[in-house]
Amino acid sequence: MIHTGYLVFELRRTMRSTRFLVFTVAFPIVLFVFFSQLFGNDTPDNAAGIDYHSVIMINMTAWGAMSAALYSGARVAVERGSGWQRQLRLTPLSGVGYLTGKGLSGLGVALPVVILVPLVAITTQGVRLSGAQWVQATVGIWLAAIPFALLGLLLGQLGTSDSMQSITSMLMMVLAILGGLWVPIEVLPDWMHQLARVLPSYWMSQVGRSAVDHHEALSSCALVLAVWTVVLGGLVALRYRRDSARG
Amino acid sequence: MDVGMTPVRVGTAITLRGLRKRYGDVVAVDGVDLVVAPGEVVALLGPNGAGKSTTIDMLLGLTAPDDGDVSVFGLAPHEAVTRGVVGAMLQEAALPEDATVAEVVGMVGSLHDDPLPTAEVLRRSGIVDVANRRCAKLSGGQRQRTRFAIALVGNPDLLVLDEPTTAMDVSARKEFWTSMREFTDQGRTVLFATHYLEEAEEFADRVVLMRGGKIVADGTVAAVREAASGRTVRATLPGADRERLAALPGVTAASVRGDRIELVCTDADAAARALLIEFPRAKDLEVSSVGLEAAFLALTSEQEQR
Repeated sequence: MIHTGYLVFELRRTMRSTRFLVFTVAFPIVLFVFFSQLFGNDTPDNAAGIDYHSVIMINMTAWGAMSAALYSGARVAVERGSGWQRQLRLTPLSGVGYLTGKGLSGLGVALPVVILVPLVAITTQGVRLSGAQWVQATVGIWLAAIPFALLGLLLGQLGTSDSMQSITSMLMMVLAILGGLWVPIEVLPDWMHQLARVLPSYWMSQVGRSAVDHHEALSSCALVLAVWTVVLGGLVALRYRRDSARG
Repeated sequence: MDVGMTPVRVGTAITLRGLRKRYGDVVAVDGVDLVVAPGEVVALLGPNGAGKSTTIDMLLGLTAPDDGDVSVFGLAPHEAVTRGVVGAMLQEAALPEDATVAEVVGMVGSLHDDPLPTAEVLRRSGIVDVANRRCAKLSGGQRQRTRFAIALVGNPDLLVLDEPTTAMDVSARKEFWTSMREFTDQGRTVLFATHYLEEAEEFADRVVLMRGGKIVADGTVAAVREAASGRTVRATLPGADRERLAALPGVTAASVRGDRIELVCTDADAAARALLIEFPRAKDLEVSSVGLEAAFLALTSEQEQR
């Protein structure tokens, strides 16, 4: 089901896109540095005494990983529109193999930001975490990108190549703002906080934050994200079956 | 590996039986029966909307027929595609613009169990010089040849091409058919749809004419011409009587333009003999076969009159 040749092909294509690198790698790094300068040195006003640098690092990592995973899947719409998908249907690559390749490449292209934002945080802002905390803030966030790769695939299956770019950007903004990735969730009014707890983006950032401030339990994060994964995976599979039955 | 030595599958290459497909009120394919033997090069000819593309889509398993059977070397279309038995070049299939030619061809090769070496395919498709160019920067002809390479890389026994030379200039078209020759010389089977009649005439062993979702003629290029009453006799004959000319044996129609006469014949030999006997003053005799284009027009317009 997993074609290495296809996966490598997809990864190379995506990593070659300047727009992709700017939005999913450069922006999160630049914003990390910017937010760190603005808020990072504020005296922690909470009991736990969290270092804002690490919170901003986690949020920017989550934002970049989410965008990368979403972007990659959403490109399915472009390939459906252009007819390249039709050409691929005339090769031994199955529909499942195609979607798996796209999904996995979405996770693959989320790796650079997951590595680079923490690196920049360590070198420029002197962020220090324990080994276990680092695993949660990097590997944890990376795995939390799975539902977003699926969400991207679903958008790619439903949207058209014209509508895709605006839909994806809009969704990224909504997920980022309401999920507390850009603005710390504590600053948002209570009703928005409640809304955030439904969104996978909130739980994605909490995977990292649970390592530094125990705002939410890691097990709750895992559970909510697993539910999102199952629901989105189911929708992708359902849509795929409809598409193939249409023939 | 010497590709020429690769064993070619036996049995019928393509079998279509009672194939039908309708889209809403439009009947796209209306009962197509076609058997293609291995090694045949078949041109599928017809005006737009004749049902060529729909037939090809069903042959490749991209569209499910409403009725009828499709088999490719004894396999269901989908299976034939999965096993790399059939390679295809579709009309409007795009290429991934951000990948290079070599990457795309290599990737598709990697999906197959027994692909041809990428370098070999690039050479045979005539795109070695643009191998590292991104697809976005290819000319129309180079794009088509890249798509040909994609169809070829799985080392298929059957190639299906839907109007392969659209967007190619004359020399690109010529080069394209040269690489096709290399493929068919190994005993591979090819079915191609085209509206370039000269291509069908030049490259196909067999021509299948479609119109209104049906096959209206099927045979060798010579036989199809024959079917449309093959030949024309032209001569110079001052003061000719059109009706007497039309009544000559083997003549179906006659026209007179000044001193020049033109006879459309079913039997040009008999017509020419009779013409010279009855009109000894006839000279500059010319017998020519009707081009496939004329045969095509005659056949399809005949359908229209019914």
